[in-house]
Amino acid sequence: MKISILAMTLALAYSGLTSAATPQQILAELNAKAGGSSVARGEKLYRGQFGGEIKSCMGCHTEDARASGRHVKTHKAIEPLAPVANKERFTDMAKVEKWFRRNCKEVLARECTAQEKADFTAYMLSLK
Amino acid sequence: MTRHVTLAGLTLAAGLALAALPAAADDGAAFPMPEGKLYLEECGGCHTAYAPGLLPARSWKKMMAELEHHFGEDATFGAEAEKAVSALLTELAADGRRANTLMRRIAGSIPAADAPQRISGTPFFKFMHDEVPNSFWKRTKIGTAANCVACHTRANLGRYYEREVSIPK
Ligand code: HEC
Ligand code: HEC
Ligand code: HEC
Repeated sequence: MKISILAMTLALAYSGLTSAATPQQILAELNAKAGGSSVARGEKLYRGQFGGEIKSCMGCHTEDARASGRHVKTHKAIEPLAPVANKERFTDMAKVEKWFRRNCKEVLARECTAQEKADFTAYMLSLK
Repeated sequence: MTRHVTLAGLTLAAGLALAALPAAADDGAAFPMPEGKLYLEECGGCHTAYAPGLLPARSWKKMMAELEHHFGEDATFGAEAEKAVSALLTELAADGRRANTLMRRIAGSIPAADAPQRISGTPFFKFMHDEVPNSFWKRTKIGTAANCVACHTRANLGRYYEREVSIPK
């Protein structure tokens, strides 16, 4: 009982830490770090073939970021990545950074630069 | 002292209620899930949010200590939040204090020296699925035995009732 209350409090504390933002605010923040962004470069990153364990972002997010994807290893369905199709995307900077870190390592075998993150996000927000 | 006795009594009562409820509804194929969004968000992003009661606490402790190389992925999400998730997993583990009959059976079927990392490799899992044809696991929408939620539609709620199974084509 005592432990469960502690665990619940911790769980609540951490869910409370995630701050809501709009995708535009997230992009503005990433742009500020990179000094601007390019939709075209972002699309190249999304569609490119790289040297990581999984060759491309499209591996899990499909050719169309507005569509549902599927995790290549676990086969779990993944909700669309583009904010136009999924209003929860790019609304929490900690979450965005966490998945950039993981997925860039997976695909590029290194972390993405501030420039790449801003470009990628600009491309996602440009999808209508 | 009285406070301790009361707490123990409460724990016992809660434990009994948990064990009794699902058993009355179905064969007890329900597991308690952590409260709040933390577990679902951090451990349910890449796959089913596995019920902690599917493995003993020592399995979860080992897994949480090796999150940086989690089945070939970096599953880390910050030391503080990882500590919170560890507490949730241990609390509701198969050999935890809130274990129901099914969870105790799972705990009992795993040798004390083992800390298995795959639920889909445990004797319990194999026993429960020995009638599922091999070819099913390879269907695109299933892909792996560990994709519980593909067939157990309410797995993220800790529910594995047979009547809620729906095997995708
Ligand atoms: C191995 C599968 C996989 C690959 C490959 C992959 N992703 Fe993801 N990505 C995921 C999963 C799983 C999520 C989280 C899904 C969820 O929250 O429902 C995610 C989420 C994200 C998010 C979080 C968006 C948000 O705000 O919710 C970003 C950003 C992202 N991916 C970028 C990328 C980039 C960039 C690449 C290519 C370099 C890439 N991903 C490749 C699996 C993948
Ligand atoms: C970045 C993606 C990712 C995250 C986040 C993640 N996992 Fe995993 N997990 C995987 C992959 C990939 C596998 C291997 C899947 C396979 O081979 O079928 C796996 C496998 C597992 C398995 C074994 C499944 C089986 O029975 O075969 C367990 C248990 C597990 N994860 C628990 C967790 C827990 C607990 C967390 C949260 C602390 C977590 N995972 C977070 C990617 C992830
Ligand atoms: C291919 C679809 C499929 C997948 C994937 C799957 N199961 Fe099952 N599961 C079944 C079927 C079908 C049954 C009923 C088997 C029977 O009674 O003969 C079952 C039964 C069970 C039961 C017993 C239910 C009861 O009423 O007693 C449990 C517990 C269970 N599965 C857990 C899991 C877990 C945990 C995972 C993921 C690690 C998983 N299953 C993955 C199809 C699946």
